[in-house]
This record gives sequence, structure tokens and C-alpha cells, in this order.
Amino acid sequence: MTRSTHALLSLDHISLSFKGVKAITDISFNVQAGEICALIGPNGAGKSSLLNVINGVYRPQRGSVRFDGNAYRRMNPYHAAHSGIARTFQNIALFRRMSVLDNVLTGRNLHRRSTWLEQTLRVGRARGDETAQRRYAEVVIDALDLQRFRHTAVGTLPYGVQKRVELARALAAEPRLLLLDEPMAGMNADEKRAMAGYVLDANRQFGVTVVLIEHDIGVVMDLSDHVVVLDYGKKIADGAPADIRGNPDVLAAYLGTRH
Amino acid sequence: MTGAQPSTLPDWLRHQARHRPHALALRHKRLGAWHALSWREVAAAVEQLAAGLAQRGFAAGDALLLVSQPREQALLLSLAAQWSGGVAIPLDPQLGDAALRAALTHLAPRFVLAEDDRQVDRLLAQEQALQVIDANPRHLTPHPHPAVIDYRALALASREGFAPAALPHGDAFAFVRLNDDGHLVEQRLTHATLVREARHLVDSEKLHANDEAFAARAFAAASQARYLIAPWVLSGFRLNFPESLATRDNDRRELAPTLVAGTRDTYARVAQLVDDRLPGERSWRRRLIDRALRGQRGPFGPLIRTLTWWLITRPLRDVIGFSRTHAALVIGPPLDAKTAALFDALRVPVRAWPDHSDWQRVEQRAQPETPQRHAADRASEQPAY
Repeated sequence: MTRSTHALLSLDHISLSFKGVKAITDISFNVQAGEICALIGPNGAGKSSLLNVINGVYRPQRGSVRFDGNAYRRMNPYHAAHSGIARTFQNIALFRRMSVLDNVLTGRNLHRRSTWLEQTLRVGRARGDETAQRRYAEVVIDALDLQRFRHTAVGTLPYGVQKRVELARALAAEPRLLLLDEPMAGMNADEKRAMAGYVLDANRQFGVTVVLIEHDIGVVMDLSDHVVVLDYGKKIADGAPADIRGNPDVLAAYLGTRH
Repeated sequence: MTGAQPSTLPDWLRHQARHRPHALALRHKRLGAWHALSWREVAAAVEQLAAGLAQRGFAAGDALLLVSQPREQALLLSLAAQWSGGVAIPLDPQLGDAALRAALTHLAPRFVLAEDDRQVDRLLAQEQALQVIDANPRHLTPHPHPAVIDYRALALASREGFAPAALPHGDAFAFVRLNDDGHLVEQRLTHATLVREARHLVDSEKLHANDEAFAARAFAAASQARYLIAPWVLSGFRLNFPESLATRDNDRRELAPTLVAGTRDTYARVAQLVDDRLPGERSWRRRLIDRALRGQRGPFGPLIRTLTWWLITRPLRDVIGFSRTHAALVIGPPLDAKTAALFDALRVPVRAWPDHSDWQRVEQRAQPETPQRHAADRASEQPAY
């Protein structure tokens, strides 16, 4: 999609500790509107913690998060979702006994205009609301090629399809910023290629800015516009994939020669 | 148009729009719901697309390439190209990059329809100068490349009307593939040929305007043009497109079409659906069902046959969407023995129609040139069963 010149997300000197263990130390970077930004680094580098800071699950001891021009010292997940931040998880977190369609529809909850009473009695705005939410959910299902699984219980689907359903549910929320925590974990090369295609489609067609964590460097270099490298909770590199590829600090962190 | 019989596909389309303007012509499933177009709406859409193509330089003799699964946009745009006197050349979206490059080099299409962003990217990666029409089926953000035209922006309402320029002996569809020896071959179907063959099919199979056909095969197959698209405009039946090839079995069950045209592999796949619904082959219930389906003679024969129809045959026909089918056609090689026996037991007579083709070798050109090139890949003819 067309890149914007303004930062949709800015992290400013973020530090996070858990009972004396420093998970993140003084991290700052910007994510431009419309880009795909990859967070990479060895296990324990602080990538998932950083995602949790962005969407308000964790509150940093220092620093602030600026999203779409508004600075937050404390943001909770509810406000993050309302502001247009959605995420997927490293381990699949879907409603296993519900159908794909129903799972995707849960992503539309924030966009419903009818009250629970109207929905229960199917009066007032409920019918039009239901139609509108269903229509958007179907757009997402179509974009991610999930039509054939529309009425299938999620728990019966292959792992790769479940990861796609999770992406669909997040996209259904119409986020401006999509946080993907290892969306391709446990996938083979073909599944990764397909999933990377869906992430690109989401970025371009839905106009969503993406921050993702991924361990497969090949995928990251092909998919991303911008890469941030973390190691031991610190940022060691930040730039375009071509710049990151030859960075000696990054090579040292990945090959283990620096510690 | 005079009182004489129409002789091209666009003329037949106008004929249907004039005589049965409000009858349903086309249905397609999108975003989980069926949408319908009448003959008048189809003709208007095709005319507007033809006017839009002409405004962008598409003229008689030009080629329109369609890299798409079966979908209504591909059909309407094919008819629009033919309306302008051009030829529609469907290509299989599964085509490999190398084969796609060869096809583009030799066909030099004026425009290419791509079904989604990924196909647009693939096409532009092969040839930057291509003019690509993005089907953009979900109406999301259009492709950002300046050479890409949004399908919705193509239709141009013309006040004066845009008369068809198709000629009976002009090419309507072309199909291309690589031969076993790696040489390029093509098959061209003129309007006259398609009309003549379609008339034969309509008469032989007693197809009529109340029929429902289901286009569940790859769009890039000559038999799709011969046995579905041409008979559709001639007889005026309803043509239905599934949501996707992956959902076609469910979609067919919802529609219960009266006309089904498939290959032996199509029918084998449907037979597998039946097999999946029945108890295991070694179970006593399965043996009972198989025995009942084989038919019974003797004093209780009529009673058993009646019970079999209501308890087994009819529900199974519902499951596979053949409950109303009166014209089940297998195109090309006949059914294998097991599949034939099953459809016989389900009382669905499957009649074979030839998939005859006249592949002509094409002289390959080293350098692309405008406006006309030829070619493709063997996969272009392979339908996705």
C-alpha cells in the first residue's frame, strides 16, 4: 500500500521490568503508517513484551507510547482496541467450538451499534447491525480464502487454517495497527509463503499498518518494509531489511558471538 | 438486429435481453450470499464494459487475457471483448511464472483481467507495460500501480448505445497450451462454431430457459465455452457461478442445478462425496445399501425400489446437488466403471459429449510485438476439478 510519511506508532524510551528482571531497556522507534514492521531477535529478546506494551497489556515503568498522535503513559487493552489496535497471539486463542464465521464476528463486537437488549429481542438497530457486521466479516473471510470453512468448528481445522482464522478475527475489527505475534510459527515453507501473502493482502487491501514478530529471517526480509532488531531487551538495529542484513551487531546476536 | 437468427454471442445476448429482459440470467455467490442479474442487466453491463474497453483503445481483433477462476466478472468482460470484436483468452490462474511469461510474450493482450492483487503482482512482475484490470471482487483498496484499472471504473455508460462489432467468423474464445514437445499450440473458436455447436447441444439435451446450469469448472477450458457459455446465451437458461472452486460442492447442493457439465474427474469427485456420506464399505449397513441400490426383482421388487428411492437415493441426490438434474454431461473421456455404476444407481443418466479440439501449432516469436501475439502453457487447458 502507499506509505505515509507520518508515524502511526512511536515508542519513546520504553523500559519494562518484572521484579528486577529488565525485559525492555530504553527502546525507541517509529512505525510509519502503512508499513510492515518486523520485530526480530533471539528468544527472550523482549519482542512479545514490547507488543504487550503497545496494546496496553503491560504498563512500562518508563517511556510513553504515541499512537496516531496521542501519547499514552497508560493504555489498557480495551482502549487500545477502541483506538484501532488489534493483535493475534503466539499460541492460538480462538473459540474452538465456534464456527469460523462466529469467531470472525467476535472481532466485530466493537463496531456494533445496537444494545444487547435490541440484539436479544431482534428489534431496533439489531437487524441492520447484524447485516452490516456479517457483511464485513464475509469480506474478511473471502480475502483470507476461508469460505469453505465458514461453518466449520475452528477446533477441527488444521493448525495453519486456525492461524488464518486468528488473523481474520483481528482484521474484522478494522484495526489501523495490527500486531501479529509469530503468525507463521510451526508452519512449513508453503504455509509460510501463503500466510505472508495474506499479511501483504491485509496491509495493502485493508490499509492496515502491521507490526509482526517472526523468526524466519527469509520471510522477514521479503515481507517487511522496516525491521527492528532486539537483543536482551535492547534495540540493536533499526532500518530497512537491506540495511539490517549486513549489520554486524545483528549477525553477532544471531550467531551468538557477542555474549 | 433483424428478424434473422443471431449469429454471434453478443447478438444472442441482446436477443435474450430484448425478449426476456426480466428473466434471471446470471447468479453468482459472493460474500456468502447469492446475487442475481437479469438478461437486461447482463446486456447493459456487457455493453458498458465494452464501451469502457473501447474508450481505452480496445478494438476489433484485440485480445483480452483473463487470469481468473470462474466468476461473473470474467464472463461479463469476455462478452464485452467479444462485443467489441475482440477475442477472450482465459488462462488458468495456477499457471507457473515461466509459462505465464511465455503466454504474455506471445499473446500480447491489449488488457489482462486479474482476479486479485496477487495475480496483478505476478502479471506486472512479468511485464511492466501490461494494462491490467483488477477484478477487485471485495471492493477493497484498489491496487496502487498506476497501470492497474479497477474493474468498477471500466464500465462506461454510453448514451447512444454501443453496437456489437462481433462477426460470425471472428474468434470469440481462444485457448492456448504447450504441447508435449514444448511447442506452442492454440485453439480458436469462432462465434459461428460456438453457435452451431450450442444449438446442437440445446436440441439434443432439450435445454430450455427454465434450466439452471452451474459453472463449477476452471474458466480456462474450451469445454466451458462450448458446453456452458454458448448454450447459455442461446437457450436463455440461468448460469450460476460458485463462490469459489473450493466451495462448489456446497454451492451446487444449495442450487440443485438441472444442467451439470463436468469431466470424468468431476464426477469421480462427486462420487467420493457420496462415498464419504455412506457407512464403511465392510459394514452390514453399507452392504444393505449397496444391495438396495443395485435394484431388486421378485414380488417385493417394486416396494423395495420405492423404499430405496425415498430412503437412500433421493437423500443422496440431495447431498450431491443432483436432485433436479436432467442433463448430466461428461465432457471428454467417459466415466470410470465405479462412478458410472453409482450415478446409474442414483438414477442420474450421465451422457458423454466429445471434447474434440483442433490444436494448431503457433510460430513462436522471440520478441514481443504489438498488437497480436500467441501462446501459453499446457496447464491453461487443465481445469481445476
